[in-house]
Amino acid sequence: MIRTPLEGHAARPSPGAGARKTVPRRDDLGPLPFVASRGMEATIEVRELRKSYGSTVAIDGLSFTVRPGQVTGFVGPNGAGKSTTMRMLLGLDTPDGGVALVGGRRYRELRAPLCQVGALLDAGAFHPGRRARDHLLWIARSNGLPAKRVDEVLELVGLTTAAGRRAGAFSLGMHQRLGIAGALLGDPPMLIFDEPVNGLDPEGIVWIRDLLRRLAGEGRAVLVSSHLMSELEGSADHLVVIGRGRLIADTSVRELLDRASDGRVAVRTAQCLEALTVLAVDGATVAAGGPDSVTVAGLPVERIVTLLSDGGVSFSGVSEHRPSLEEAYMELTRNAVEFHATAGQVRAW
Amino acid sequence: MVTTTPYRSSVRDPRDGFAQLMLSEWTKLRSVPRWGLTMLAGVAVTILSGMLVAGGAGSSGSGSDGSTKGISPQYRDAGDYVHRVLLGDGSITVRVASQKNNDPWAKGGLMLRASTEPGSPYAALMITPGNGVRLQANFTTDIPGSSGRAPRWLKLTRQGTSVTGSESADGVTWNKVGTVELEGLRQGAEIGMFVASPDALNLRRQFGGEDLVETSNLGEATFDNVKVEPARPQQLPPWRGGGERAAPDATSFSLAGAGDIAMYHYATDATETMLTGAMFGMMAIVALAVLYLTSEYQHGLIWTTFTASPRRGRVLAARAVVLGGVTFVVGLVAAFATFLLASPMVRKGNAAPPALSDPQVLRAIVGTAALLALVAVFSLAVASILRRGAAAIAVVLLLLLAPLVAGSALPLAAAKWLERVTPAAGFAVQQTLERYDTAIAPLPGLAVLGVYTALALGYAIWRSGRRHA
Repeated sequence: MIRTPLEGHAARPSPGAGARKTVPRRDDLGPLPFVASRGMEATIEVRELRKSYGSTVAIDGLSFTVRPGQVTGFVGPNGAGKSTTMRMLLGLDTPDGGVALVGGRRYRELRAPLCQVGALLDAGAFHPGRRARDHLLWIARSNGLPAKRVDEVLELVGLTTAAGRRAGAFSLGMHQRLGIAGALLGDPPMLIFDEPVNGLDPEGIVWIRDLLRRLAGEGRAVLVSSHLMSELEGSADHLVVIGRGRLIADTSVRELLDRASDGRVAVRTAQCLEALTVLAVDGATVAAGGPDSVTVAGLPVERIVTLLSDGGVSFSGVSEHRPSLEEAYMELTRNAVEFHATAGQVRAW
Repeated sequence: MVTTTPYRSSVRDPRDGFAQLMLSEWTKLRSVPRWGLTMLAGVAVTILSGMLVAGGAGSSGSGSDGSTKGISPQYRDAGDYVHRVLLGDGSITVRVASQKNNDPWAKGGLMLRASTEPGSPYAALMITPGNGVRLQANFTTDIPGSSGRAPRWLKLTRQGTSVTGSESADGVTWNKVGTVELEGLRQGAEIGMFVASPDALNLRRQFGGEDLVETSNLGEATFDNVKVEPARPQQLPPWRGGGERAAPDATSFSLAGAGDIAMYHYATDATETMLTGAMFGMMAIVALAVLYLTSEYQHGLIWTTFTASPRRGRVLAARAVVLGGVTFVVGLVAAFATFLLASPMVRKGNAAPPALSDPQVLRAIVGTAALLALVAVFSLAVASILRRGAAAIAVVLLLLLAPLVAGSALPLAAAKWLERVTPAAGFAVQQTLERYDTAIAPLPGLAVLGVYTALALGYAIWRSGRRHA
């Protein structure tokens, strides 16, 4: 399902639904229009989130849900509001409106939060003079986690041999690993990673992809932001795409790709003109895709092969057009840009 | 849609109480080697500068006639004293016939003391040219009588350990001036006439220090009608002291003497001088306290801290407790080491050298540690409010040191006011003597700094929860 932002508003659950459970709340935060239930234990959710900095609207009525057991990619161009949203989820920033919830609660209400939410916001967040092990140790101690967890996460991210080295001497890839180790200290069911792939070498990208898949496979809710869709190829199950603080799409990766492929088929042939003629049958759209290829839409592969064979056109290959995630994303954001242009006019009115 | 059983953390029984926060902050503090070195540098600077200034910290002044030897530089106990032993209860009566008016506080009168040892318990009833009749005891008690001058009759009566002073214009009608208790007075006490006169002082306060010149100032007085009771002439020992030996039945004396029997407000405070090194060590502590906090903003670590512990006020409180505790322990080591290493270098004077057994000295040493701890917490609070390292260091050092530096160039009253109302009042805790330029007593001074620290920390904690990280 692809939801436009407007549909997203309509999908809001009614505040009174479900069994009420008392949620400890801070007076200055106001009442929660939401009910925490057991099913929400490992779900990250933002609803109607709004945040402005001065006259700049950073987040404009954003709603989405990150479910356990899958990797949710959080995508948008730089400045779209990804980091701001994550900061509000982690209680580092206060929303102007709406709620940002982890496990059905506001982050600041969590006890021992490291055991519920793990976060990597900034891979450069360490003191250069501190040993990697000590960096993790102070984080662990703040939540009363045993020191052996430090050794476990160091092993998990492959930094065991570097544990005694000062973080200032680490490479960028090692910083990312150290940051991820910090997020995993409390073995939390929810994970929030801001641009974890940024600046990694191919080996590191593969490592992170496998790690994210494994963490989600264990039943955790994983939210991973990126400004490059290609970085999420092969790791994300679900995508939340935002632009200028608004939701553009909230969709599974499979749906997005299916939709973007449009059932187009690419035919490789030296006889382009003949192929075009043969394939121009009822219900089909045919276009030259290059000097030796033709793109067909509206015809199944079997029919194309039959038509070509019957028409005596030689071809070297027939393949369903599989768009990359990047292509699908580009198509999506192109529409979104148009939408924003319209929305801007409406607002100006 | 994928349905999965939500994951549950394998970590059992996590806690995020204040104790965990403190342990976490301690781990942070101890794991950056540069900070440890900064702390060590602070200790080294404190000790070394203490040793450097110790040589100039000896007692000085002209009370150098041996009679003040071995007592605290806070007191002067010298003069001309003609005395004899009085066994048990009794009294001495005298008429002060004349007194030279060379100083408003020149003293001439009667004195009873436990012994002739400097610093031994005494009670003295005296006439002064400018301050009337006074009954003084043990340097600290001062009871005013009439404003009469010589000639005048004085009487000192001992009963057990109480000594009563009375005065009379004519030797017939007596007015009681007061009664003092002298602890540790034994059966035999010295009783007699004395003359003393404080040195003439020429004090020049200048930028960064003071210049004190004391000139001996001879006081003179004549006494007659001396009568000691009970009158048992055959048992009374001869008069002694004053450079003259008088017959047991002599009744007139003429005495002349310099020196004073009083508190002395111009002595160099050797302990305080030694501990001034802490002022330099303090700069390292201030820098460390500020960096401990602002480095987290600089490196983006503050987000890690606040995601691990979302209750920001508690984080700052835990930081303050840990930093204050560590600084106190380190400060204690530095102050004790300074005292032990620097006190042998103090110039030997007549006054007793400062000793650890003196509660005032002990208070100054422990107080120095407390001073450093408060300064560290104050710096932390200012850093938390300003969030900029250089600005925070500048503000803290300005508040702490500027009053002291400016004070030495300002008139005394203004300097005292500054050292009472600014955070610099905390340095008062290093005093072991009360001086003419003492602005505030040691513990109240520390309390002033404590109030500034509490206000700054309270505001910082209140603000931390309400501010954008």
